[in-house]
Amino acid sequence: MTRRFFSRIFVIFVMLFTLPILAPASAYADNQIERAETHVNNMMLDLQGFLDAGSDNVEKRKEAVTYLLDSYFDLPLIARFSAGAYWRKATPIERQTYSDIMREVMIGTVVRNFDQLSGLEYSPVKSTTKGAKLVLVGGTFTDQAKTREPVAINWRVTTPADGDARVMDVEIENISMLVTQKNENIAIIRKNQGNFSALIDAMRSKIDQ
Amino acid sequence: MTKGQCIRMLRSHFLILTSLVTVAACSSVPENQRSDMRDRYEDSNRAVFDFNMGVDTYVVEPVASGYRKAVPEGGQTAIAHHLAWAGLPSTAINSSLQGKYENAGLAVLSFAINGLTLGFVNLMGDDAAPIHKEDFGQTLAAAEIDEGSYLMVPFLGPHTTRSLTGRVVDMVMNPYSIVEAGAPLQTWQTARIPTAAVSFRAANFEAFNDVKYNALDPYARTRSVYYQQRNGLLGDKLRGDGASSADDEFEEFFGDDG
Repeated sequence: MTRRFFSRIFVIFVMLFTLPILAPASAYADNQIERAETHVNNMMLDLQGFLDAGSDNVEKRKEAVTYLLDSYFDLPLIARFSAGAYWRKATPIERQTYSDIMREVMIGTVVRNFDQLSGLEYSPVKSTTKGAKLVLVGGTFTDQAKTREPVAINWRVTTPADGDARVMDVEIENISMLVTQKNENIAIIRKNQGNFSALIDAMRSKIDQ
Repeated sequence: MTKGQCIRMLRSHFLILTSLVTVAACSSVPENQRSDMRDRYEDSNRAVFDFNMGVDTYVVEPVASGYRKAVPEGGQTAIAHHLAWAGLPSTAINSSLQGKYENAGLAVLSFAINGLTLGFVNLMGDDAAPIHKEDFGQTLAAAEIDEGSYLMVPFLGPHTTRSLTGRVVDMVMNPYSIVEAGAPLQTWQTARIPTAAVSFRAANFEAFNDVKYNALDPYARTRSVYYQQRNGLLGDKLRGDGASSADDEFEEFFGDDG
């Protein structure tokens, strides 16, 4: 009887001490997911608005894509990630130049592929937290005309405690756009004996083309 | 197996035999000169990649472009279904070897039912449980065989030593390699690889061209995409379901960042 009484008291104390620790952690994760999902949904609404407007004018498209990237994506973090370990070796001027060119390359890539987004319907699937700073927001793009297979997409969204949620990466059918860019960038730097400016030159000449 | 069957199989596997000879002739690049540590034969691989891009520019891309214009979307889908159907015996055998009996059963069922139309029509419907493609390269991965080096194979594109070995075994498992039949089937067997190449190229026309014409280093980009796509297929064996190979890179980044 006494032993059972003490074991019950012990369980109650354990619950009293652990619940306040676990509950906020779980609430924080839920809040993280909610912020990330809201961010992606808002972005998709804006994107849909631009697609519905259906402009063939390249300048207008560029304007829309620039707005989307600047408003919803974490461009400084993307630049830092995509340079890999070479970011630390780069001079402040190289970092700034690279970040500016990287933004231009991203805008160009999305503008070029803008047509492929039309006719697709986005539906959210499932989101999961990846540590304290990142949420993987899952979704599917379905072709309304059903001529293409549905495409699984994951948005990696940063959710800093002291800032807004921002998209860091887009993963399509297990292929991360940011990791691909990073691997390509690192290959160019390594092929040029670790010279960071060689990457900047390569990006510049590509844009000039 | 009769002598005729052996000759036919060797003939159909000519590309792979050629590739293996090419690989044997490659020389290893020192680590500090590689753009990716996994790419031991980078110099030879880049040369083969240039060759493959040449084949694409002069043959595959124009044919795929014509195929997109000439064959209606329904026809393209039917051909893609047929090619996927022909791979189901391999999926069934490899799923069984990995202990994934449900997937193996689904592959057998789908092969039997869709076999009524030679796989051109998906009689299972869109709501049927998805069949996860399993090849012998994945079976070797499940048996913890090392993936080996990255290889750019003439005509066949990116592989690892393990996935190329798996591909040879899968080609032997293909029903076309086993069934003794007349000339039409033999002709289709010979045409299957180029058809698959054109079908794949046509289905991914814009994405492929974006890498080919707009990437800073198309070779490095192709290698990265190949590894991620392959790791995605191996995801359940390497990391458990639901995890992506890119997760490790982000974890490392935020770990360093933190």
